[in-house]
Amino acid sequence: MKNDLAGRRAARDWTQADLAAALGVSRQTVISIERGRFDPSLPLAFLIAQTFDCAIEDIFTPD
Amino acid sequence: MGESLDAARKACFTRGMSKAYFTSTSPRRGRVPFGHYVLALALGAVLTIAVALVVAATNPDDFWLAAGIGALCAAYPSVSLGLKVFVSNNTVSRDERGEQSVELLWMRQAGSGAFLDVLIATIVAAVIVMVFRFEVDALPVLLALIALSAVDAGLHYFVIRHRALK
Repeated sequence: MKNDLAGRRAARDWTQADLAAALGVSRQTVISIERGRFDPSLPLAFLIAQTFDCAIEDIFTPD
Repeated sequence: MGESLDAARKACFTRGMSKAYFTSTSPRRGRVPFGHYVLALALGAVLTIAVALVVAATNPDDFWLAAGIGALCAAYPSVSLGLKVFVSNNTVSRDERGEQSVELLWMRQAGSGAFLDVLIATIVAAVIVMVFRFEVDALPVLLALIALSAVDAGLHYFVIRHRALK
């Protein structure tokens, strides 16, 4: 899956550590998601979408 | 930045998310009362002495030697248990969303990779032993398999992590 998590995070001026803390996951998880090497679980995807106040499909799109 | 992140957290919280999501972001480090360390050491000492006495009682001919060896063997795990019971609750915060982190995926991949490696190595070694009629003791072979599994899983994890983050 592709995602624009890095862009959205940068737009809010959050570091990867900030986002990881907000999501309750490790910074490595955020890095891996942003680079498209790890697809988040559905609960985590919902949490990410809620954190950015949007829908899941606004952030994640199929390849 | 701080305000917007806080706003996002509040937004998540007001939508019914568990408060526990954010407890892991503020680990309670360095707030262990001194008395807890004393209790941990006391529990460790009591357990160590108890084990030493049991070992000594089963070897009455070498009472003090057996007691000493029993104490040496029991001291570390006993004190560790004391620290776990009385100290770690104040120093280690539970990872509330650990199952969502990528580390779990890496561990699973490393574990399955190591399992396959050890399986193949065992099959190859068994064929060699069978063909050349080697005689080997089972204990060192089993210990070597355990060591190989641990080292292989660690290497797999390191490589997977390195590839994922580079």
